[in-house]
Amino acid sequence: MRSYGRLTIFMIPIGIATNFIGGQIAILLKLPMYLDSIGTILVGALCGGLPGALVGLISNLINSITSPTLAPFATLSILFGFLAGWLSKHGVFKSLWKTLLSSIPFALIGSILGGLITIWVFGGLSGSGGALIVGALVAAGMDINAAVFASGVPMDFLDKIPTVLVVFLILKRIPTRLFVKLPLGHVYLNKDKTASKNPAVAVVDEEDDELALG
Amino acid sequence: MSTPIIDELDQEFIDSFRSPASAGNRIRDLNPISFAVIMVACAVAAVTLPGPWGPAAICLIYVAVSIAAGVSKAFLPAYGKLFAVVGLILFVLRAAFLPGEHVLLRLGPIAISAEGIAQGLDFALVVMALCGAMTLFFTVTPMKNLMLALELRGVTPRATYVILASFQAITDLGKNTKVVMDAQKSRGIETEGGMVGRVTAFVPILAPVFLAAMSQTEERALALDARAFNSRSRHSYLVSLQPVGAAEIALVCAVAACAVLSIVGAAFIWN
Repeated sequence: MRSYGRLTIFMIPIGIATNFIGGQIAILLKLPMYLDSIGTILVGALCGGLPGALVGLISNLINSITSPTLAPFATLSILFGFLAGWLSKHGVFKSLWKTLLSSIPFALIGSILGGLITIWVFGGLSGSGGALIVGALVAAGMDINAAVFASGVPMDFLDKIPTVLVVFLILKRIPTRLFVKLPLGHVYLNKDKTASKNPAVAVVDEEDDELALG
Repeated sequence: MSTPIIDELDQEFIDSFRSPASAGNRIRDLNPISFAVIMVACAVAAVTLPGPWGPAAICLIYVAVSIAAGVSKAFLPAYGKLFAVVGLILFVLRAAFLPGEHVLLRLGPIAISAEGIAQGLDFALVVMALCGAMTLFFTVTPMKNLMLALELRGVTPRATYVILASFQAITDLGKNTKVVMDAQKSRGIETEGGMVGRVTAFVPILAPVFLAAMSQTEERALALDARAFNSRSRHSYLVSLQPVGAAEIALVCAVAACAVLSIVGAAFIWN
C-alpha cells in the first residue's frame, strides 16, 4: 500500500462511508435503486484498482454483519473497484459520454456475475427483494436461470447509470489541490496536454472550486 | 484545586486501564480470536450435520450462548428479524417453486411439494446457522477488541485503522448527510415529488458530504503523524485484552474437535 501515498489510507474509510450513505440517501429519497457502489467507484477512480477493491470488499463485509446473505456478493464489489481503477487510468471518467458508456461493463458485471452467484449459492432464489420478481417469473413458466438474468439486467442498468453519473459529477468538483496528492489524480489534472508543458502553470490556471479556499 | 471526589473518580478511571479490559462476563471476555474459532466451528458443524435438526440445534446453541453472554437483548431481536425476513423468504420460495413428486397443495401455477418443503427447511436453516455465527460474533465482540487482538497477532496497524475509521466515518458522514439534506431542502431543492426531481436531488446531497470528508483527510494524516502512527517501532496500547488461559484453549480445542468430527461424520456416516 505504501506506493499509493499517504492519503489513500484515509480515502478508503471515506469511500466505504460513501457507499453506505449513498444507499441511505437513495432510501430517504425513495429512489428505486441501490446507489451503494458510488464510494467503491470513486476511490477506484481516484486511488487505483486495489484501494477501490478494498473499499468494495470492506463495505460488503460490514453489510454482511447485519445481513450475512450479502457476503458472497463481495466478489462483485471487488471487481467494481478494479474496473473503476482501470477505466480511470484510461481517462474514461474525464468525459461524460465515456462515463455513461462505462455503466455498461458495470451493469453487465453486476447482473451477470450477480446472477451467477445467486444461482450457484442460493439456487436462483436469494433472500432479497429481487427474489420475489424471480419467483413470479418462474411461476409464470420461465426457466429459473433465465428469470434471474431477466430480472437482474434491467435493475442493474437502472442502478449503474445514475451511479456513474454521480461519480462523474463528484469527480468534476474535486479541488485541484486534492487531486495532486492522489495516486490517479494526475489523470484528471492534464486535461489539456498541449496548453502548457509546465504542469505548475496549468494547475494554477485550472478553474478551481471554492472549497480549495475554505 | 480538585475536590477529593474528583480525585477518586480520576483514580478509578486511571486504574481501569491498568488491568485488562473486562466486560464482566466470561464469554465476552474470551479472546476475540478464540471466539471467532468457536463461531467458525459452529458454522462448519451447521453445514455438515444432517438437516434439518443439525443446523436447528446450532441455531439454538447461539440463542443459549447469547443469553449466557448477556447480549440476548441485542442479539435475539436482530436474529429474529433475520429469520423472519431472509429465512422465511428462502424457505417459502423454495417450498413454493421447487418441483417434487408429492404435491401437497396446488394454487394456480404454484405447487407445494413435500420435497420442496423439506429442501427449503434444510437450506433456510443452514443459511440461518451461518448468518447466526456472523451476527452473534459481532454482537459479542466489540470491533475495537477484535482489531486489537488482530494487531497483537501481527496485522498491520494500517489495516486495523482502516476498519475502525470506516465505522467512525459511517457515523460521521451519516450525521453530515442529515445536515446537508436539511440545508439543501431549505434552499429549495426538491426531495419529494416526481421521480426526476428526487434523482436530481441526489448529487447536491452526496457531493458536499464526500468533498468535505475528502478535504479533512489531510488533517487526519497530520493528526496520525503527530501520534507516531507511521513509526516502524512497536505501537503501545491504552487497553489490554484478558490473558488467554488454559481453560480457554481447552474450550476452543474441544469445539474445533466437534467441528472436525462433524466433517468426518458427513464424509463417512450420514451422507
